[in-house]
Amino acid sequence: MVESFREFTPGRVGSVAGAPFTFANYLELASPSFAGVLIETFEISIVASLVGLLIAFPLAYCAVRRFSARWRAATIGLMITLVLLSMLVRTYALELTFGSVGVLRPLLLWLGISPTSRWYIEGLVGAGLLHAIVPICTLTLLGAVQNVDPRLADAAKSLGAPAWKAHLDTTIPLSLPALVSAFLVSLTFSISAFVIPMVLGKGRVLFVSNVIYNRFGDIANYPSGAAVSVVMLGVSLIVVYGVSRAQRLRRRSL
Amino acid sequence: MSTSSIRRLSDRLAMAAVVVVIVVGLVFLAAPLLVTALLAFDARNYLGQLPPPALSLHWFDKLFSQDYVVAGLSTSLEIAVLATLVNVFIGGAAAVGLDRATFPGKDALLSAFLSPLMVPAVVTGFALLLFLSNVGIVSGFARLLCGHVIITLPYTIRATLSSLVGRDPRLTEAALVLGATERQAFWNITVPLIRTGVVTGAVFAFAISMDDVAVSMFLTDPTTYTLPVALVANMRASFDLTIAAAAVLLTGITTVLILILERLVGLDRILGQGLFRS
Repeated sequence: MVESFREFTPGRVGSVAGAPFTFANYLELASPSFAGVLIETFEISIVASLVGLLIAFPLAYCAVRRFSARWRAATIGLMITLVLLSMLVRTYALELTFGSVGVLRPLLLWLGISPTSRWYIEGLVGAGLLHAIVPICTLTLLGAVQNVDPRLADAAKSLGAPAWKAHLDTTIPLSLPALVSAFLVSLTFSISAFVIPMVLGKGRVLFVSNVIYNRFGDIANYPSGAAVSVVMLGVSLIVVYGVSRAQRLRRRSL
Repeated sequence: MSTSSIRRLSDRLAMAAVVVVIVVGLVFLAAPLLVTALLAFDARNYLGQLPPPALSLHWFDKLFSQDYVVAGLSTSLEIAVLATLVNVFIGGAAAVGLDRATFPGKDALLSAFLSPLMVPAVVTGFALLLFLSNVGIVSGFARLLCGHVIITLPYTIRATLSSLVGRDPRLTEAALVLGATERQAFWNITVPLIRTGVVTGAVFAFAISMDDVAVSMFLTDPTTYTLPVALVANMRASFDLTIAAAAVLLTGITTVLILILERLVGLDRILGQGLFRS
């Protein structure tokens, strides 16, 4: 924290002992290039979290209400395996499958998609986040979906509502608090992601975490790295505050 | 068309959409891992098309012939085992203490213990680096161990605490009434009751420690590094299939962890251990 206010002299590691305090490290962060990284981190994270919920919710619902006991156990087993499986392994697997030298390259070129275009790499980073978000969200939502009384949707259906509308009016609103907190958990995970954008983004798509590491590793500007860290800490604490607010609202609504 | 046939049509469409989403989701989760596993056994010397014309283990030979892999793997395993052991004790003790505690500030203490979950890993790593070098700890191994204990502690505390909260306290009381000492009651009654939580926490701590890059990257020194850090560095330099072989190796370790969990806890019961409480 203190380090972030020290003046940085280029060409040496860390701040000079007793360097004067300055706000310059923070002012630098107001520049468009850093703002761009922050915005991109949030954009990709929010989209990935929303898509993650869109996949995880039907999966959790079907695992609880539709699948046979064996399929249900298999789904839960797969999700726990994925959570425990190294994120590095999963990121590498995605790069090997969808990346610029991956096995799908001929298909991508045939479809006219350039695997090195910026939006494709952004999508790939999003896919990496998604690979982590879906299992976590599914496991988080299982309990919540289990607690929703299935007779409510049945009642709506017997009163003439189509099944999708019955769920839209009963199951989803009743699991809304869980959906909100699953979204915020995914968002905290995504905005602090480090390995995923580093491997899949190949230096073209940077997240805030990568900027911190670059400040430290490549140019040894500790004070600036510390300033980015403090900003990031603040941002993620705001999101965490959102999580606890959502939980409190949920407890009250139960 | 009558309203009921419209209703049936819309239901069928919605059902089809849900099935498509689930199938696409599961394929997306599983397919890349299967591709990687298959390519790790590819007999060719380059990254080529699927399916591989022949299978061989030469990528594994190449993997284990590289010094950085062997050194990284042994450091990783040492750190993970030590961090897990330290955490079963610290986390267990903290959980038992917090479970009994009635003093004000108990919630704040718990939040402090769980805070590494909230703080981005890179910030933790960076802060630890600055802090440890100010304190004078510069050995790579000691720094890594500190970092890993800190980032895995929330998992052991949470899992142990939730099994403590879920146990029947009357069993301990009964033992005390029947003349057991506090110590006997703790070791003979409480510990067996919370075993599943402790095991779950330990397995998660081990897995998190084996996987961490973001914190470890700051704390390594030129001679002490963990396998994931070495792999990431190698991945940036060259992109060949030795890393696919390493991925299969790490997946093997995860499989062992899953078997331990299945044997000692049961996969369906893990959901009750508080790690996925939103």
